[in-house]
Amino acid sequence: MAFEIISISSSLTQKQAVAEIEKCNEYTINYGLTLTHLDAVELVETRDLALKGTGRIEFGGGVIEKIIKEFCISPYISKHNYAETLHELTEIFYFYKNETLDLMSDDDLIKFMKDSFDGLCQGSLELLAGRELFNMARNLRYGYAPDYLDDMSDDEGDEDGEY
Amino acid sequence: MANIEKRRIINRNNLSGQDYFTSILQEAYACGLFSNSDVESIQLQCIKFLASKCEKYNCGESSSIRVEIAESIMRSNLYTIGLYLKSLPDADVAAAVLKKAKIPELYQKGRELINEKLDTAKKTYKKVLENKLITLHYSYNTTLDDSGIGTFLKLYDPDYQSHESPAVIDYQLCNPVIDLAGVEYIEKYLENLFFENEFCRFFSADDIHYLLCGYNEEYQELLINIFEQVFTAALGCCFANRSVVKLDISKEEIEHLYNEFSKDDHHLLALKIQKGTGQMLEELNVTSDLFRGYVEKSLPKITSNILQAVKTNTLDKTFLVPINPDLKPKIRFISGAKMDDKDYRKIIDEMLICRYSSDKLVLINDKIKSFGDLEDILFDAELSEEEINSVFDILGDMEFAALIKRHSYISDIQAVDLSEAEQTFRRYLKNYIDHLEVDRQEKIFEIVNQLIDD
Repeated sequence: MAFEIISISSSLTQKQAVAEIEKCNEYTINYGLTLTHLDAVELVETRDLALKGTGRIEFGGGVIEKIIKEFCISPYISKHNYAETLHELTEIFYFYKNETLDLMSDDDLIKFMKDSFDGLCQGSLELLAGRELFNMARNLRYGYAPDYLDDMSDDEGDEDGEY
Repeated sequence: MANIEKRRIINRNNLSGQDYFTSILQEAYACGLFSNSDVESIQLQCIKFLASKCEKYNCGESSSIRVEIAESIMRSNLYTIGLYLKSLPDADVAAAVLKKAKIPELYQKGRELINEKLDTAKKTYKKVLENKLITLHYSYNTTLDDSGIGTFLKLYDPDYQSHESPAVIDYQLCNPVIDLAGVEYIEKYLENLFFENEFCRFFSADDIHYLLCGYNEEYQELLINIFEQVFTAALGCCFANRSVVKLDISKEEIEHLYNEFSKDDHHLLALKIQKGTGQMLEELNVTSDLFRGYVEKSLPKITSNILQAVKTNTLDKTFLVPINPDLKPKIRFISGAKMDDKDYRKIIDEMLICRYSSDKLVLINDKIKSFGDLEDILFDAELSEEEINSVFDILGDMEFAALIKRHSYISDIQAVDLSEAEQTFRRYLKNYIDHLEVDRQEKIFEIVNQLIDD
């Protein structure tokens, strides 16, 4: 009789999310990008795993659709890496939703991801997740603007010898 | 015929006051009032409603939410709906309404009830502040001020956390509020506290203070209920044929009461207590039925305390003899004027270059004339435990009492704010005192209790 929010809601939203993703093909076909039904199902599964891993819950679809519509125009995405990139972007999105303490809206986070991916990261998902989003999330947590730049990141990098 | 109670399907004893919604759903299902599909439909509606509430919570900016926040919002929704269901005539009616009505409608009705209850709580809080007791009791004061119930009224979030009580409410009531949460809890708590205050206001603040000092002179820090002590003491006065309002009963009278009570069996004694309570309320001229109702509700606890005290021959711990701490003999300790800083520095420099402990001791004996300087030397001269013990050997009981008063030993956790030197000194002092003869220790601690520092 207990209200298991996660199990009830995920079964409710799964079909709806797959349908929404498939519907995006009508838009992305203009850029030569499409997803099969299996791709869409797998993408929703990735979303569910990402939500579970980050301790989050989503009632409607929507986010993957927004990611698809934002990223399909990226010069770094082609039909060869389209589905794979979407999987990674979905995971990164939910991870940084938590890391930014929900201080950033879905739209702003996706926009930031897209600008960084096409700009400084030049299509590298490692740089996007490991540097740009990391710095942005830290800035937000410390009360700075998302794109705030200071010497701290350089210092940290030098100490760790990472950059 | 009017007393015949309607037969109900749902047993109200199985329902939870805190989780009314869930418990009614479970009971209705167990009694066969709800089928599987009814329960599923309600669950589905709740999830859909949760989705809309989460969207509002996120201001439409985020489609996902942390699970713990969603769960908390869900609990809040169920609490609010439960509040409305609780307001219906009985659980059977509530189950029927739950089956037919839509969840958002039930929520809206519950939400209106929360507003009403919050208004009532605010009014009662105002009344409680008006009849607040003048007391040094710490948890009573903090619970009633801005950091306690005041915080609740400021921070209570009826939309997303209606089931929570965002305040520290430490003061224990004689009739504790159990099985309630959120605004219902605070409403009942304030109502009970109001009655307790009303009762205590028949007595002067000083008399209550003396009575509680009779319980323990450090009562300010204890988590005791003032009403319970006052009520019991007033009852004792009533039995001893003393004026109830003075709360003054002697040790001899308590002994006499014990001799009288120990002859009675439990049933007879309980009846006596009930009768005595009636007399006491008459003497205090209590007419309000609500007020009488609260006092009567407290009676089982008071009766059980008295019965237990008679059984264990500890009636003097239940009926308290008031103590006026101001009448106890006091010793004023004056530490004397400190020496000039230049001279003091000179002595310290001299002591630091002394090779032998005996030389340091001679310097202290010859040059230190005031207690304040001695205290400073013990900290500044970097003395070892052995050297400090040698200094202790030449001190009298009064000096020890003054040192204990100022540097009493406290546990490591409590001592985190103290300097390392201070902590070490307190440890040395405790070790030294612990090794003294018991008689001398008692004498020193007696002086400590009487000492007023200047």
